[in-house]
Parts: sequence; structure tokens; C-alpha cells
Amino acid sequence: MIARREQQLTYLLLGVFSLIALVPIVGIVVTALQARGGAASFGAPDGFELANFATAWDDGNFADYLRSSAIVTVSVVAASTLLSILAGYAFGMMRFRGSSGLFYLMLLGLMVPLEATIVPLYYDLRDLSLTDTYWALILPQVGSSVAFGTFWMRAFFRSVPRSLIEAARLDGSSSWTTLWRVVLPLGRPAVLTMIALIFMWTWNEFLLALVMVSDEGLRTAPLGLAFFQGRNTTDYALLAAGAVIVATPVVVLYVFLQRHFIRGMLAGAVKG
Amino acid sequence: MAGVAFDRVDKRFGAVEAVRELTLEIADGDFMVLVGPSGSGKTTALRMLAGLEAVTAGTIAIGDRVVNDVSPRERDIAMVFQDYALYPQMTVRDNFAFGLRRRKVARDEIERRVRRAAGALELGGLLDRRPRELSGGQQQRVALGRALVREPQVFLMDEPLSNLDAKLRVQTRGEIRRLQQEIRTTTVYVTHDQVEAMTMGDRIAVMNHGRLEQVGTPEELYERPANLFVAGFIGSPSMSLVPLARLALELPAAPADAVVGVRPEHARLWDGSDGLLGPLEGEVAYVEALGRETFLGVDSGADARFVVSVAGRASAQPGERVRFGLAPGGLLLFDGDSGRALGALAGARWG
Amino acid sequence: MSARAAPPGEPRRVAYLYLLPGLAVFAVFVLAPLLHTGWLALFEWDGVTAGEWVGLDNFTALVTEPELRTAFWHALVLLVFYSLLPVAIGLLLAAAMARTRVRGLAAFRTILFLPQVIALVVVAVMWRMIYAPEGGLINEGLRAIGLGGLAQNWLGDFTLALPAVGLIATWVMYGLAMVLFTAGVQKIPPSLYDAARVDGAGPVREFFAVTLPGLRGEIAVALTLTTIVALRNFDLVYITTGGGPGDATSVPAVEVYERAFQSGRVGGAAAVGVCLAAVIFALSFAINRFADRGLR
Repeated sequence: MIARREQQLTYLLLGVFSLIALVPIVGIVVTALQARGGAASFGAPDGFELANFATAWDDGNFADYLRSSAIVTVSVVAASTLLSILAGYAFGMMRFRGSSGLFYLMLLGLMVPLEATIVPLYYDLRDLSLTDTYWALILPQVGSSVAFGTFWMRAFFRSVPRSLIEAARLDGSSSWTTLWRVVLPLGRPAVLTMIALIFMWTWNEFLLALVMVSDEGLRTAPLGLAFFQGRNTTDYALLAAGAVIVATPVVVLYVFLQRHFIRGMLAGAVKG
Repeated sequence: MAGVAFDRVDKRFGAVEAVRELTLEIADGDFMVLVGPSGSGKTTALRMLAGLEAVTAGTIAIGDRVVNDVSPRERDIAMVFQDYALYPQMTVRDNFAFGLRRRKVARDEIERRVRRAAGALELGGLLDRRPRELSGGQQQRVALGRALVREPQVFLMDEPLSNLDAKLRVQTRGEIRRLQQEIRTTTVYVTHDQVEAMTMGDRIAVMNHGRLEQVGTPEELYERPANLFVAGFIGSPSMSLVPLARLALELPAAPADAVVGVRPEHARLWDGSDGLLGPLEGEVAYVEALGRETFLGVDSGADARFVVSVAGRASAQPGERVRFGLAPGGLLLFDGDSGRALGALAGARWG
Repeated sequence: MSARAAPPGEPRRVAYLYLLPGLAVFAVFVLAPLLHTGWLALFEWDGVTAGEWVGLDNFTALVTEPELRTAFWHALVLLVFYSLLPVAIGLLLAAAMARTRVRGLAAFRTILFLPQVIALVVVAVMWRMIYAPEGGLINEGLRAIGLGGLAQNWLGDFTLALPAVGLIATWVMYGLAMVLFTAGVQKIPPSLYDAARVDGAGPVREFFAVTLPGLRGEIAVALTLTTIVALRNFDLVYITTGGGPGDATSVPAVEVYERAFQSGRVGGAAAVGVCLAAVIFALSFAINRFADRGLR
């Protein structure tokens, strides 16, 4: 039957492409577990040792890199989440002059690439002696995350039935109380998705760190990995270990929140 | 406890006039029903009273206070929404207590009121449940309870029963009415269902296209409708409205384009008795057999459909020709142009 | 939503207070720099000494300077790998999946989407090792099956480097398209397919008549998302090839970095940045216009 052939074809396609997606990832994990300096090749299992991770962690300074990334990412996620909830609430639930204009402005901001703003950002922050500080990494990313977050939270707030807000207003609830006690409790999935996405984008950010940070002590994980690669181009096992360390936090978050990640990316106009 | 007064209230949304020149007085303790088809402005009027819509012109007063610029919170009103609008993440108890806490009511007073409302509405065992764990009927009662605990001056209800199934609706109707008669708080109740209006209201305000068509007791509206719209809207099945020209009735001093209105119970199959005006003849268009009585839709010419009532079962079939008569005491006359009522027919002779 | 007379007690002006913090950070760190970039593009500046006004010279250089023309050409080529190929793969799956019930779709989705969450730096490091001439997965694999003659220095070859980088991009993006389209295809009412069948349509006809139009929204989203990522491909190119060998894989994003922070041509870098932003806006707008028109 045609239907069965279609089904087999579907499973085949799904299987093949899933495999292609997995192979490099599995390969790098396997490589990281190889003995160092062995018949160095990608993905060929040759021993099983965790020593590479330890080496990368200490000698490779990945402990510091992760700490930096953690500081930056947590700050950006916390600040962006709070600001986005507030701004999204205003856009989604209140009528005020200029709301469409301001919103379209933020929408535009969603599409602005870092490559277009990095140049003046660097030179201006340098003039303010803020380069080589965590601020240089946190503030710009809060700026762009808030553009996304506001858009995202506004969509959620607009989905809340008006009658609920009106009931709260009749009950004497102020806009602040209504936000935190009545409406936001309904938005756990939306907020979780936003947190997941902002975490991912911030953790994985490279260009900003490359430009702003020269002090080795402040390097974030992706930047650290780039330098690590420069020092260990042929030591595949060690390099792989470093790469795995950098990717793991987001992957772990993904495994636990996959529904939220996918929902977030699927929800249509994530960036336009 | 306070009365409500609308004084020449207008509401415009851009170019659309939702409410025109509404002047309506609701006495303290009254149960007033605003009824009309969708788009009639009844819900808009209610929302303006609640403070959820701004008033374009005119004044609204609760008690002797004009409340146009008073926020809903300060108006001392409570509202039951059509979709209940219960706080989904809070328990029933917290749903009740939320408004009271916002007003800094003392903890034990809150407790007392919650218990009383739960008792009155038989929600005692459900106080710690969340709305999504409750049936539709229970949710509806929680919505009522939330309004009750506020002990406001006025209750506002926006079609609170429309999401219930028919049987539950009838049952709850009675309960609401009973409750209101006990506590005697002024209540303004909006519905599109005229049966609901007739059974619940002390007084009824019929609205259409933003205008108040008539306000009065159910009897007044039924016996003496002020115009064609009210005549056709109130009563089920509706009043038969037929142009005078179609009937062989001689009527001195009636305008040429007058319309005659007759309720189904005043149109009966011809039996030769001299109580009825007639006979009129027509073809049966449909038969509505309700067991206790039967309604026949009879076409006595173009534009002249009468609904004739028959006690018990009728043997007539669609397509048959029947003869029927009209009780002279039940005939009403309306101006065909303006729709205004011209009074009961007097001196009508069958010619 | 016209905001004429507000009902009493409805929050109006307080809205500005809620907006202020977020809007402020956004304005200072996204909007202002965007405008500033436009300004910087009008100067020739090395980042240290005073700059010199050159008007629109930096912008004309975008089309006259061969280096930049090459970079933008490469961006266009990579667009095929980032955007068109993944969308095609996604559509292939959607076509096959159109009327079948797939069990375990969630598991597949999780795996397919995985490349999207990995930092591009990690992806680049990963694939550099795969492409490595000695010890890389591809070459060792070819040698293992006796096709050692086909082994190349993939990322070091002047003609192969760009497609090689492109394929990495395809690997990263196809999962997104597949997940988007499988979700979208399940929303197409089966009755549409039945109607097409009754009209005598074969599978190809069905695809063009039902599946494709039904996925219009999802295709627009996929194209928009992948296009934006494609034009912002700094991380991938910088780590895998750095723009080389020579300028075989130069791209505008890397040009911005190189000019602004390495060769002291800040104005030129700014112009490239402005151009990138403009292209992203224009493409997003065009894609969504096209999608909307189809939906009407």
C-alpha cells in the first residue's frame, strides 16, 4: 500500500538524518575519552579515560572559563527575564500612547545582528574603560535578549483572557499585584522557554567575548575553547574534551527542557 | 445598598454607537434584567456601570454618587463574568479571599464571609480545590460566591448562565433569584434569553441597537409592549405580527399601515363559537407539538403568518388548510411606520 | 487599539514605568550602537587617531572593492547551504510524512534539534577534526574503505573550503527545518489530501497542491531564521578557516571583525555591518511579505 511505503520512507529519512546529526556529536565524546597522544583520530575508540577532562579542567583553565560563562549567563538571564516580563506586561496588557511604535522598534531590534553593533559598542565601552569587564559582556546581551523576551512575554500576556484581568481589577488588585499574583503564575511554560533560549544564546555567544575580553581571567567558555584550539591543534583528545565541557551545560539544559526549547524555536516569529 | 441611575448615557467606540441616550433607574434592592439581542448594548451598559468601559456622555450614579470617573475598585460593586474569570492557580478559598485581602479586610472577617458564602452555595467541601478540578456548575457557583463575599452595594451579572446546560441553567436561575431575594442587594443582570429575563426580573429593560426600547415589569412587557420590537421579542413562541391590510378587519381611526399583534394563546382553531373574531383561513406551514399544547404556523396569505395554539394534540398536518379565529381582547395595534404601540383594539368589527 | 477615553482605574501612564528599564537597556546597547555604526561608516578611522570624513566612500567600496565583493558573494553561496538546503531536506521529510502517523516522533525531534543548541565554536572545533587531512573522520573513513585517493585537505583547499564550511552549516540547520515542518505538516487537515486524491492527484501533485501551500508559514519562518543565522556566520568561519585559505571563505561577518579590530579600517567595518543589517531587514521583510501574500 502506498501508505506503508510512505511510512517506511519517512522512518528512513528520520533515521538517516538523525544518525547524521548524532555521529559528529558521539564522535567528539568518544574522542575525548581516548588516551592522549594515541593514534590520534576522530571518533576511533582507543581506550577509555576521563583524564582528558581533568587536564582540560585544570591545565586548560576550563574551570575558570566555565565560571566566567556562568557569571555572565546567569546575570543576563536574570536581568533579561525580569525586564522582559515587565515590558511584555505593559505591551501585552495595557493601552497607552505609542505602544505600537515602541513595539515595532523592539521587533526591529530583534533582527539587528551583533556584527552591526559590535564596532561602536567596543569603542564606546573602551572609552568608558568598561572593556575587559563582565559589564561589557552582560549589558549588550541583556539589551538584545530583552528585545526577544519582550516580544515573547507580550505574546503570552495577550493570550490571557481579558475577563481575568477585569475580575482582578474589580477585586481591587493593582497592576503590580495582578502581574505577579494573577497572571504570571499562568505563564510558567512561557517563562521557562524564554529562560532556556536566553541561556543558550548567552552561553554560546562568541564574537562579543572575542572583541571585549583580552584578560584571560575573564574568558567565557566559547572564547576559552577557541584559544585552547590554538594551543592544541593536533591533540584531538584533549581538544575534544574541552569542546565537550563547553557544550555540556546547554545540552544538559536542553535534555531537561527540550519541549520548551523546541516550542520556543517553533513558535513562529522568534526573530521575525 | 444603593440604587443605580443611568442618565442619558452614550457610548461610542470610534464611529460605532453602542449605547444611545440610555436613561434607566434601578431602585435599591431591585433585580433588574437587561435583555436584548447581541449588539443591543446591554453588555456595554453593564460594563460602563462596572467601570470597565469609559462613559462617552451622560452620567452613571450608584446611590447618590456619580461614578463616571471612579475606578471599579472604589465603586463597591461585584461582578459575575460570563466565563467566570476564576483565578486558575488559586484555590476556591483564595478566589473568594483575594478581593477581600486587597481591601485589607480583617482575617477573621474574611474567614467568616468565606464560610458563609460557601455554605449558601453548597461549596463547603470544595474550598481547597482549584477551579480546573470543578465542574462547570461548581465553577459558576464559585464565581457567584466570589461576588457574594464582597458584600457590595450592587451585583453585576454578565450572562452568568450561558455556559451551563439547559437543565442546570433553569435550576441555577431559581437559586440566584432566591439568593437575591434573601439579601436584597441591587442586582443588574444581563442576558439575551428573554425567558430568563421574564422569570428572574423584578423589572426588565429591553434594549435593541443601543436604545432602551421599554422598561417595566414582566407583566407590563408581556401585556402592553411599547413597540413592535418588544412585542416580537418577549414571549415564546413570539407574537404574530400581521399588517392590518391583510385582515378583513374594519378598524376606525387606524392608520393604513398599522400592524396587528396577537399572541398564540389568543389565536385558536375555529369552532363556531362567537367569542372569536373570524374565521380566517390559511395553510399550515409547520406543526410544533409540545405534548401539553401544539403550535401551528398558519399562512393566511403573504406576510400573514399566525401562530395558532391548540390544547393537547392537533391532527393538522403541514399543507392542510385550517380555519381559525382571534380573541378580540388579545389583539394589539402598532403603527407600521414607527412601530409604536397604539393600544388594544377597540371597536373592531369583522367586516 | 485606539486609546481615547480610558476607563477609570485602567493602567495607562504606569505602563511607561514598566517599560522603562527594558527599553532603556535596549536603546542604549542595541539601538544607539546601530545608529552609531551608521555614523562611523562615514569616516575613515583606525580606532586610535582622529578619523577622517569620507562620506559614502565606505559604502561604495562595498561594491567596488574586490575583497568585499568576494565576501558578499561567499555569503550568498553560504546562504544556499544555511537556508535552501536545510529547507529542501525539511520539505523532503514533510512530503514523505504527509499522511503517515509517526511514532516516536518526539525522540527523533530531540535528536534532530540537538545541533541547534551546541555552541557554534564547539561545532566548528568538532568539524575541523572531522575534516582534518590526517586523522579526520572523513579522510580516515575513505582510507579505511580503500578510497584514500579521494582524501582531501577539505578546509585547506581553495575550491573545496567554502562548500565544506557550507555543509557544516547545513548540518547545523536542517534539524530546525525538519522539526518546524513536521509540526506544520501534522496541522494540515487530511481532508485536503483526500480531496486531492479524489481529483486524481499523484504524490508529486499532492505535494505541490496541498503540502507546500500548507507549510507556507513554516517555510517563511525557516527561511527567515536560517537567513539571519547565515548572514551572522562569524563563529563558524572564524574557527574553521579564519576566512582562508587566502580569501576562499571570506565572509562579511569576518570582514567586519578583521577591519575593525585588526587592520584599523573601522569605517569600512561599520559600512559592512550596516550592509549586513540592511540585508537582513530586507530579506526578512521580503520573505514574510511573500508568505503573507500566499496566505491571503
